[in-house]
Amino acid sequence: MKEMQIKTTYGELITQIRELKLLLNEAQETIDAIRRGEVDAFIVKNNNAHEVYTLKSADQTYRIFIEKMMEGAVTISREGIILYCNTSFANMLQLPLTKVLGQPFEHFIPTNYKKSISRLIEMAWTEERKAEIIFPGKNKKPVPVLLSLNTMEIDGGPAMSIIVTDLSFQKETQEELRQKNIQLEQAQLITKKLNDELEQTVRERTEELYKSREHFKFLADNIPAIVWTALQDGKMDYFNKRWFDFTGKDYVQVNNEFSLFIHPDEINDFTVLWDKAVTTGSAFEMVHRLKDGHGEYRWHFSQALPFRNDDNVIVAWFGISTDIDEQKRALEKKDEFISIASHELKTPVTSIKGYVQLLRYNFQQEGNSNAADLLTKADVQINKLTNLISDLLDVKKIENGQLRYHEEKFDFNDLVREIIEETERITKHPLECELAATCTIAGDRNKIGQVITNFIDNAAKYSPREAVIKIKTLHKKDRIQLFVQDFGLGIPKDQQAKIFERFFRVNGEKENTYAGLGLGLYISAEIIKRHKGSIGVDSVQGNGSTFNFELPIV
Amino acid sequence: MKKIFISDDDPDILEILSLMLKMAGYETYASTNANDIFNCPAGLPDLILLDIWMSGIDGRDICKQLKENERTKNIPVVFLSANSRINEITEEYQARDFIAKPFEMDHLLKKISTILSGTTV
Repeated sequence: MKEMQIKTTYGELITQIRELKLLLNEAQETIDAIRRGEVDAFIVKNNNAHEVYTLKSADQTYRIFIEKMMEGAVTISREGIILYCNTSFANMLQLPLTKVLGQPFEHFIPTNYKKSISRLIEMAWTEERKAEIIFPGKNKKPVPVLLSLNTMEIDGGPAMSIIVTDLSFQKETQEELRQKNIQLEQAQLITKKLNDELEQTVRERTEELYKSREHFKFLADNIPAIVWTALQDGKMDYFNKRWFDFTGKDYVQVNNEFSLFIHPDEINDFTVLWDKAVTTGSAFEMVHRLKDGHGEYRWHFSQALPFRNDDNVIVAWFGISTDIDEQKRALEKKDEFISIASHELKTPVTSIKGYVQLLRYNFQQEGNSNAADLLTKADVQINKLTNLISDLLDVKKIENGQLRYHEEKFDFNDLVREIIEETERITKHPLECELAATCTIAGDRNKIGQVITNFIDNAAKYSPREAVIKIKTLHKKDRIQLFVQDFGLGIPKDQQAKIFERFFRVNGEKENTYAGLGLGLYISAEIIKRHKGSIGVDSVQGNGSTFNFELPIV
Repeated sequence: MKKIFISDDDPDILEILSLMLKMAGYETYASTNANDIFNCPAGLPDLILLDIWMSGIDGRDICKQLKENERTKNIPVVFLSANSRINEITEEYQARDFIAKPFEMDHLLKKISTILSGTTV
């Protein structure tokens, strides 16, 4: 088909159009002739044969057509009498045809339209007219209708054809459309209102955000610390004013390069700790030095916390680096002071102890055992003073994480025996010793010895004069356990857990009668902890206590 | 008789140490000036007892000089101090041993005896 069209030339098309125009004119002329009553019959050429159509047969066709159509069709005479009407019209009036034919048309017009319709019909005799009125329909339901009035000649006399079209559906559709339009308008109004509200909210939020940002900026820029934020991957993306003031660089120069300012000694630790925090989502904390604009390093304490969204996913990191240089230096001074003080206190104690020992030796040589015993007692007190000075120094070191350990491998039983020998010389308590096969321990021999001494000293301090103290060791898999048991006061259950806390001393009526700062067990616990061991106590008030620790064997 | 050179800036401690060591049968040379070790009239000692913090002199420097000197590098040095880092210092400056102040006389004598018998062998 397409090909055929394409093959049709322009000339052929012109010819075809001309032929079709001729046919059209011919058909138009035929229709006009029929209308004018000049034709009685015509012959139509069908596919098979010629067929004759008379106008009578045409009338019949139209009549059926008119009867079947939905619209009401009425023909009235010049006097307004209904000459003809179809069933649809009678149905509209809910009357049989017989009660309609021959009646004045005006008769069926609702009272309120009578005048206007009469005028309309009058005018329609000269010119085609149309009007919409309401007909009382079925069950008095008002039916909107369109009246189309046309004049025509019937059997020589003038007549008027009136087509009555039920507009109910159209009106309903229009009404529906109107309603929909109203709804649409309402919806549009609502949408506009919502839009306006949204715009307002956005404006307000923007303003809030701006204020909040300004507020944050104000806060961040005036806080006496470096404030920074980082993206979820740990890349730093914001620094406050103080950072730029501190580094003496401008924004472009230092953008995201925090690590460039960290002291070379701490950069590796910083990278490891920061990566770990970012990977695990745990809080970041580190003390490190940062280089200022003059190239000098100042100590800072940096902390960062992750900010999570509602789904618990990290979206950013907030960090703060506080300048602790002065505190750090003050702390160093304090530490130095304590070191010097401790040294200066120990010097006279050394002299006193030395003279006492020399005197005791002399008295022993002379056979004056009473004087020698008195000097032994003085020596015990000097040792207590020495231990107190050492404890204070140790606590300071533990607090600063500076307690240093001198690691070596040593024979555990040798150490225990050495301490027992030393203690036996100065105590009245009999020491019962039950040592398991010896083993080698890796750690600070002096400090582990300090723990054993502390256990025995406590046992002596809190048990009656000359009450026995039992020292025992046991092997437990790859660990060695040491127990020091006394038969003294014992410790109330509720205080046993606190006994290893700093400055803790057992409460009781006689607490003040027992000397000490409450530091010995705290230091012991720290020492054992640092050696990957555990420390504990088992005690029944009134029956005595058993202190123990266990350490890994090499 | 083994000779021991003692240096401490506290004359009392110097006196105490001398008495204790003499009692134990050692020949002692005591000085508050540690530099005297380098021109000891009685010749080189068998052991040196050295304080660390002395007024004007640091025992660590003396130890370093001793260890750098061919004549003195094999003389055992024992630090004697109330310094809480004495064990680390001992290791760092290659001293033979240390004695923390205040000290037990028995402990001091035992340690010195052990070291001197060791060097004799």
